[in-house]
Amino acid sequence: MIELDLALQRGEFSLELSLCSPARALALFGPSGCGKTSTLLAIAGLLRPRRGRIAIDGHALFDADANIDLPPAQRNLGVVFQDARLFPHLSVRDNLRYGMPRAAAGQNFDDVVHLLELSAFLKRKPGQLSGGQIRRVAIGRALLRQPQALLLDEPLANLHREARAEVLEHLRGLKHGFTLSTILVSHQPDEVVALADSVVLIEDGRLAALQSVAAFESSTAASGVPVAANARATG
Amino acid sequence: MRGIPRLAACVIVVAAGALASTLATAAPPTVFAAASLEPALDQMAHDGALGSPAPRLVYAASSALARQIENGAPADLFISADERWMDDAARHGAILASTRTDLLGNALVLIAPSDSTARVELAQGSASLLEALGRDGRLAIALPDSVPAGIYAKQSLTKLGMWNALQPRVAMTRDVRAALNLVVLGQCPLGIVYRSDAVSEPRVKVLATFPAASHKPIVYPVAIVKGHDGAAARALLAALKAGQARGVFRRWDFDVLAH
Amino acid sequence: MLLTHAEAVALALSFKVSLVGVACSLPVAVGCAWLLARTRFFGKPVFEGVLLLPLILPPVVTGYVLLIVFGHHGTIGRWLDAAGLSIAFRWTGAALAAAVMAFPLLVVALRNAFESVDRKLENAAATLGAGPWRIFFGITLPLSARGLVAGLALAFARAFGEFGATITFVSSIPGQTRTLPIALYELISTPGGESGALRLTLVAVVIAVIASLIAALMLLRGGTREVDA
Repeated sequence: MIELDLALQRGEFSLELSLCSPARALALFGPSGCGKTSTLLAIAGLLRPRRGRIAIDGHALFDADANIDLPPAQRNLGVVFQDARLFPHLSVRDNLRYGMPRAAAGQNFDDVVHLLELSAFLKRKPGQLSGGQIRRVAIGRALLRQPQALLLDEPLANLHREARAEVLEHLRGLKHGFTLSTILVSHQPDEVVALADSVVLIEDGRLAALQSVAAFESSTAASGVPVAANARATG
Repeated sequence: MRGIPRLAACVIVVAAGALASTLATAAPPTVFAAASLEPALDQMAHDGALGSPAPRLVYAASSALARQIENGAPADLFISADERWMDDAARHGAILASTRTDLLGNALVLIAPSDSTARVELAQGSASLLEALGRDGRLAIALPDSVPAGIYAKQSLTKLGMWNALQPRVAMTRDVRAALNLVVLGQCPLGIVYRSDAVSEPRVKVLATFPAASHKPIVYPVAIVKGHDGAAARALLAALKAGQARGVFRRWDFDVLAH
Repeated sequence: MLLTHAEAVALALSFKVSLVGVACSLPVAVGCAWLLARTRFFGKPVFEGVLLLPLILPPVVTGYVLLIVFGHHGTIGRWLDAAGLSIAFRWTGAALAAAVMAFPLLVVALRNAFESVDRKLENAAATLGAGPWRIFFGITLPLSARGLVAGLALAFARAFGEFGATITFVSSIPGQTRTLPIALYELISTPGGESGALRLTLVAVVIAVIASLIAALMLLRGGTREVDA
C-alpha cells in the first residue's frame, strides 16, 4: 500500500500528487522533467515536500501535519539511483554489504549475488565494471538492505541494448522472486510494462491518470509509442 | 591578440610601481636605529626636534639592521647600540667612516615587574639571581650572540661568574625591547635591559645595575650610510647632536657623550 | 655536510614541534572544514574569516595574542600554570604556535577535499542507513584522502618554517623553543655564522621542496575518477 500526498517546489517547477495504491509494483511514468524523479527523491527523504504525507504499508515516512520527517537513513528503503552511485573506493562486495543490517544472514547475501549473477566480480572495484554490471550491483546493494520497499529511478536508462536486456531479465526475476513493494520511475513504456502492476501517469507536475498496467499497455500501443518487442513477448 | 592588452596592463602596473618608488625615495630621510632608542627618538620626532618632515624611524636589533644595511637597505643614518656592529658595517663598506661619531652611552640593569619582591645582589659568584628566578622562572635577555644588549648581558654575567648557572634559564628575544616586554607582561620574573628601557617603562623596576667594568663600555655610534650622503642626512645628524635632542636623550637616562 | 650539535638539536626540535603541532591541529581542522563544506549556518562567513586570521595577520601579532592568552598569567595560561601544564617557554608552546599558523592552510585544503566528494554518494550512503559519522569516516574521508595528504604536507611545511609567532610567544631557548628557523635567524645575525646558516638553509629548502612535491602529486592525480557509477 503506497500513499503519496505531496506538494513539492523546486525552483520554478512545482509538483502536486495525491494517490493511494494497493499495488505491489507501482510505476511513475511521464516525460523528462515532469517531476517523477523528484517524487522518488521525496519518498527517499532527500527532498522535503512543502506539505503532505508519504506512507508505505501504513508506515509514515513523512507527515507534515503530524510533524514526522524521517531522515533517509531511517526510512528503510532500498534506492537504486539513475547514476547507480556505487562507492568507487570500495569493492563490489563491500558496496553490496554497505546497507546490510548487522544481524543479516549470510545466506541472504549469497541468494542475491546468485540471483543477480554478481559472483564473478565481487572483488573488483566499480571502475572495472561495465554499465550493466554496475546497475546490477546497485540493485543488489539496495536489496541487501532488506528494505520495506524498493525505489528504482530509471533502472534501464543509458544502457546499450545488451545491457538493457540483461538488467531487465534480472529485474523480472526479482519481481517473481521477492515480495517487496516497488516504486519504479521511468519514461520508457517497455520497462513499465515489464515490471509494474499499476501505472501513475504524470504530466507537468500533476497526476494525469492512475491505471492498471494492462490499460497502460493498450493505451500506449494505441497511441503509437513504441513498446519493445521482446518485452511484450515475455511480459 | 588577446595577450597584448594583458601585457600592456602589466607594463603599466610595473611602470606605476617604479614611479611610485622613486617618488617614495624623494620622501623624508630614514634612520635605522637600535631598538632601545625607540621611546626617545619617537619623542623627538613628535616634538619636531629632528626636522621637518619628520624622518622615518626603523627600529630593530642592531645586528639585524647592520645586516640589512650591508645588503643595501635604503637607510640614510645608522645608530647602533654597540661598536661591534658599526665596525661590521664599516668593514663591509656600508657606512661613511668620516661621519661616524659616538652619540650616546647607557648602562645595563636587572629589572623585575614593579610589584616584585625579589632582592638580588650582583656580586661575584652570587647565587641570588638564580634563586630569584624560582623554580620555573626565566631570565629575559636579548640574543646573547648577536644583539648588543644580549652581548653586554652575557659579558656581565660571565664576568660575575653567573653565566654557566643562568644559561639554561634564559629566554632569548629578538631585541632588547622584546625582553623588556616579557618582564612587563609578567612572563618572566627578571630581565636584563638598558637603564633607558627601565626608565621608559613604569611597570618595571630596577633591582640592580651591572657594574660598568663587567662589560664593554656601552656606546651608541652613529654614521651616515654610504651612498646616502646629502643635505638631509647631514641635517639629521646635526639635529641628533643638537640641544633639543640631547635634552630628550637625558630624559631617558642616556649618557650624552661630549663632542 | 654535517650539522653542529646545536644545529642538529634545532632540526630535531623543529620536526618534533611541527609533527605535534600539525597532529593537534588536524582534528580541529577536520571539524571546521566539514562545517564549512557541508553545513549552512548564520554567521558562516564570519566564522570562516576568523579561521583564516592566522594566515592574514602578521605572525608577530599572532604570537603576541598567544603570549597574552597562554603565557604566564594569561587568560588560559593561568589555569595551565595552576595545573602544572604550562606551555610558556616550552616546546609545547612552540608546537601551539606552529599549529595555529598551519591551521588555516589545513582547513582550506580539507574543505576543498571534502567539497570535491560527490554529495550524491553521501546521499546514497544515507539511504542505505548510514548515519552522519559513518558517512564521514566511510565515504567522505576516504574519498578526500588525496586532498588530505596534500593539506598535511603543506601544513607541515608551514609549521616547520614558522618563525615570527614562535619567537614572539616562546622566545629562543635551545632545546625547547629554538627551532630551525630561529637558529637560522641567529646564525645570520652572528658574524662567522654564515656556514651554519647555509647548512640550515639547505635543510629547510629540501624539506620545503619535498612537501611541495607531495602536495603537487596528490593534487595532480587527485579528484574523483570518472566511474560509471
